[in-house]
Amino acid sequence: MARLELDDITKHFDDDGETIVAVDDASIDINDGEFLVLVGPSGCGKSTTLRMIAGLETITDGELRIGGRRVNEAKPRDRDIAMVFQSYALYPHMTVRENMSFGLEESTDLSEGDITDRVESATDTMGISDLLDRKPSELSGGQQQRVALGRAIVREPEVFLMDEPLSNLDAKLRAQMRTELQRLQEDLDTTTVYVTHDQTEAMTMGDRIAILNDGILQQVATPLEAYHAPANQFVAGFIGEPSMNFFDVDLEGDSVVGDHLDYPVSDDVRTKLDTDALVLGIRPQDIELVDAVESGHDIAVTVDVVEPMGDENNVYLTFSDAPTNETFIANVDGRTLVEEGDDIVAHIPEEAVHFFDRRSGEALRNREFDGDADVDLSL
Amino acid sequence: MTSTNSNSLSGRSWRSTALYAVLVLLVVFYLLPLWTGLVTSIKADVLATAPFLPPAPAGFTSVHWTRAINALTGGLVNSLILAIPATILSALLGSMAAYGLTTLNWRHQVPILMLFIAGIFIPYQAVLIPLSKFWASIVPVNDLVGYVGLAGWVGDLIGLILSHVAYGIPICTLLFRTYYKDFNEEMIEAARIDGATTHTIYRRIILPLSVPMFAVTLIYQFTQVWNDLLFALVLVGPGAGAPVTVPLSQLGASLSEVGFGIRMAGAFVAALPTIIVYVLFGDQFAEGVST
Repeated sequence: MARLELDDITKHFDDDGETIVAVDDASIDINDGEFLVLVGPSGCGKSTTLRMIAGLETITDGELRIGGRRVNEAKPRDRDIAMVFQSYALYPHMTVRENMSFGLEESTDLSEGDITDRVESATDTMGISDLLDRKPSELSGGQQQRVALGRAIVREPEVFLMDEPLSNLDAKLRAQMRTELQRLQEDLDTTTVYVTHDQTEAMTMGDRIAILNDGILQQVATPLEAYHAPANQFVAGFIGEPSMNFFDVDLEGDSVVGDHLDYPVSDDVRTKLDTDALVLGIRPQDIELVDAVESGHDIAVTVDVVEPMGDENNVYLTFSDAPTNETFIANVDGRTLVEEGDDIVAHIPEEAVHFFDRRSGEALRNREFDGDADVDLSL
Repeated sequence: MTSTNSNSLSGRSWRSTALYAVLVLLVVFYLLPLWTGLVTSIKADVLATAPFLPPAPAGFTSVHWTRAINALTGGLVNSLILAIPATILSALLGSMAAYGLTTLNWRHQVPILMLFIAGIFIPYQAVLIPLSKFWASIVPVNDLVGYVGLAGWVGDLIGLILSHVAYGIPICTLLFRTYYKDFNEEMIEAARIDGATTHTIYRRIILPLSVPMFAVTLIYQFTQVWNDLLFALVLVGPGAGAPVTVPLSQLGASLSEVGFGIRMAGAFVAALPTIIVYVLFGDQFAEGVST
């Protein structure tokens, strides 16, 4: 186990003489035993970052340290890491036992007996002891996934690297493996870097998450921080399901004004807004549906579409004064009875509102949130 | 209803009858030369019956086969000494080259690959003279073997083996490359992270997974080398080291008559090893071709 430090890591690819910046100046310190999730849309550089840590891609600039030792130039085999791939990447001609002992045979001087012991204890951990003599083609997707994980843990490396390891599983199995992986990582207490494009995985699994976009690190934070106190509009929109609603607004006197919106802001909030061109953000979960307009924070809306999910409803709303244009989403209790075409009122509580600088995207004001307190934000 | 059913039924049976008729015709078409060859090889007098009819019991003889086997035994042994190492070497080297040019990443791979591909298209006839000069004066291999006490024809045969290996490598490389391109890249990366070197990845991962493609290249290359007459004639020629195709071409040739019987028997004797190779590697061949 070791601390993993990315110090201004940069990666340039050369494409027909043109330089493409895949990762730009990314710095992350990952503590010993920490579970860090690298998340972002496809093409954001998260896999490239992971592959640089693994040694499968060269590092253009910056320094990578594992346990304080610079490993930029070290071969993958000399970095003391193990990696789980999206395709599992099992050796098809080898049995489960051979797949798992391969790494120990190639990278250690362990005796045959020790290797057998290590492999058998790893298969016990993964619950695949009865599959030892099977070939990968005779295993289900979930079983192959377990073998791939087992092949990584048997090495007892300093760092685990995981590249979207659950994305080939069906939804139910994925949820189950997610919990199992978390428990496993906690038991082993091995530093882990986990790449995913799925923000649910990021939120549920990570001790901290690092959000990347266009090769630039947007924020490194705990899941709750990223959710409630996003550093910028990209993070705010990426984390959370359904996505945060955004409205372009301008600060005019003591309210912000948008196309269909005239929203009064308190002095407390206004002092944080150092520019006039703003984006107002509100999470669907924070919008309340009420019967009548009682204050400036209430907006007359029309129900466009209702997506019932059982425990909750996603209600797509349009402004009553512009029925066909922009829709935004409110996420309400599943027992709330609203139907398409209903004219109702959406209450946007000021304490839950985010403001972003429209030009830079930087967060100027986040919702009221105390990271240490019990988080009950249902309001 | 009933009439429609029986109509469609008779329509179907008519169609399958036609299909079988065509298939039988094709079978006859392909087997006829073999059959004619076979019956001709056991006739005492080839003109006694029509070419495709078997001889009358009195006209049966096995003398053509005995004579053909006697005349070709030496050539068969030479051909085996030639074809087995030439086939294995070109398949193995082709597989290694394909691994280096496909699975590994380094600069200037493409121009080198182009050279390999270009090698496939060099006609044998174009290199005959330079090649024979090369083995005669630049690397006089039949003199060189003399120093270790071997006869000159052994040297000629070694030259022939190396020539076939050199001319077999490009096509083998291409075949293996097509196969390796479909390998899961992440699997190779997993092996690198597992600590395997370039060499062990080839030995423990690539090579065991190449078995079906080895069957394809072994069959293909064995047939090529075995059936070659041009290189054999020019580089070795008739004599102690001649591969079977050389004596086969001279079998039954005399001024007085054309020895159809012995020629047919000889052709069968010479073709036998390639048929055995097809039977031995057929299953893997099918697997390799289909992937």
